[in-house]
Amino acid sequence: MNEGLADFLRGIAATNEWWVILPEILLAVLALGLLVLELLSPNIRKLVPRVAMAGQGVILVLLLAFGCSDCGGVPEESYFGGLLQSNEWTMVMRVFFLFSALMVSYLGGLFLARQNLAKEEFYHLVILVAAAMMLLVQSNNFVMLFVALEMVTVAFYVLVAYRRSSSLSLEAGIKYLILGALSSSILLFGIVLLYGVGGNPALPGASGDSLNFDALGSFIALNPDNPLVLTGAMLVLAGVCFKIGAVPFQIWVPDVYQGAPTPVTAYLAVASKAAGFMVLLGLLHGPFLSLQGFLVPVLVAISGASILFGNIAAVTQGNLKRLLGLSGIAHAGYLLMGVVASCSVDWADRAVLFYLITYLLASFAVFTVLSIAGQGDDAETSMETYRNLSQRQPFLGGVLTLGLGSLAGIPPLGGFIAKLFLFVAAFQAGLYGLLIVSVLGVVISIYYYFGWIRTVYFKSTGATDEAASAEVLGIQARCVMGFLVAAIILLGVFPGAMSLL
Amino acid sequence: MTIGLNAFLIIAGLLFAIGMLGVTLRRNTLVMFMSLEMMLTAVNLALVAFSRYNGTMDGNLFVFFIITVAAAEVAVGLAIIVALFKRRQSVMVEHLNVLSR
Repeated sequence: MNEGLADFLRGIAATNEWWVILPEILLAVLALGLLVLELLSPNIRKLVPRVAMAGQGVILVLLLAFGCSDCGGVPEESYFGGLLQSNEWTMVMRVFFLFSALMVSYLGGLFLARQNLAKEEFYHLVILVAAAMMLLVQSNNFVMLFVALEMVTVAFYVLVAYRRSSSLSLEAGIKYLILGALSSSILLFGIVLLYGVGGNPALPGASGDSLNFDALGSFIALNPDNPLVLTGAMLVLAGVCFKIGAVPFQIWVPDVYQGAPTPVTAYLAVASKAAGFMVLLGLLHGPFLSLQGFLVPVLVAISGASILFGNIAAVTQGNLKRLLGLSGIAHAGYLLMGVVASCSVDWADRAVLFYLITYLLASFAVFTVLSIAGQGDDAETSMETYRNLSQRQPFLGGVLTLGLGSLAGIPPLGGFIAKLFLFVAAFQAGLYGLLIVSVLGVVISIYYYFGWIRTVYFKSTGATDEAASAEVLGIQARCVMGFLVAAIILLGVFPGAMSLL
Repeated sequence: MTIGLNAFLIIAGLLFAIGMLGVTLRRNTLVMFMSLEMMLTAVNLALVAFSRYNGTMDGNLFVFFIITVAAAEVAVGLAIIVALFKRRQSVMVEHLNVLSR
């Protein structure tokens, strides 16, 4: 008996390849180290932001240098007894999340400089979220998926409510908390149903390890019509759709985006959404492969509704963070279209990834401008703040224009090519109705994005020259924004550059 | 007489539905939060029942993870609710309307 147990444990431990999750471990060590630094003398405490960013930068470079060369040849590998699975996709996404965390740390530095708040915990939480998202995209087991997802979500509750002196931020926090916990419970109930039915010995293909994606996938292939399987899959889908902010579950998006500190809004808009899409793609091509016929119509409906709702609601929106939230719902709709297309067109998942990367660059360009130009109350970013920005701060105005242009999908920029790829994929997949809806959506979106750009370039009639906050841009800020804009243009002119990343 | 799997699942489903109704219908954020915990409890009950009747241990194991996560969620959630109460002197949903204006 003891021999058997020891063999069993040895068998599990044989696949424990700790080096595979070394970046995540290093990030966790860095995050904990920051808390230790905080305890030391006030002089050392001032170094925390720099240590946080330098640490993330080093880990990012290490990941780029070692990770990508390792995973090139091997398509897929499982580690930790099937808990984690890594392939080239997860490697790209890990870089994606780490880069987002680095950008958010930078924006957080700008934000925290104006606030009387604890600084160290912000970096700590941002880094932990990045580590959890990196694990999330690699998870190949529902327990792993749930724990990583909750680590992301709980840390985000704190981050959204980070300005605890502001009732706006707290209100956003509590809304995110209640709706986030609700969606997690729904997701969890779906997982439990799948686990229960997948392990039922009376059914064909039942597995003792039905929380594992592969085992569950082969079970579902044999029982695609089981009502419990369908209910469970729908509930899991609902939970994931909440994270990406697609339409029936979008209710939290505008409020939380508005109330959260701007860097956290950027993090939610980019990384949290990308993580949701990666989970969705993983599920749809993994355990739910045999349910595609059932799930695709549902996803098509969600996608079309998201595109229409997001774009139409954004037209009349005067608060820019809410506008970005609502247009983010529309972007989730376009991405969902790509996810649906990936069920029948094999390169569509790459189009989704490309879209996510251009969305990351353009969003961070816009949010950086928002962080620098938006003064005063963080949650009240009205269009008026940006009136005539191009006169006062030509550089900021230019970056904002290019970022918004890419989000809208204007030809020489990355966002255009990304949208084009998605639309071609949808065309090849035969999603003509959805295609019409999304072209319509793009037309509407050009209206409100260009409304913002127009505000940047033109004075309103009889505008008083308000106290121009012509604070000189630091070289650091110029470099960051210059890099983002250069990458947007590069991806637009030469989309093949993505393979270099 | 043994109690069948279905009995457990019906109870779990009912608890889940009651929790969901509580979250959607009640106006006090503390009560909503309690309802959320009830939903997690329903999930735990279903997991343990499935685990027992399927003869696999994964479900029992998962319950511990869920309990831990729920504890973390409560710690953060109550902190946010208390901080909000300090500023607004209210935990009712109808007073959470400063955003979206």
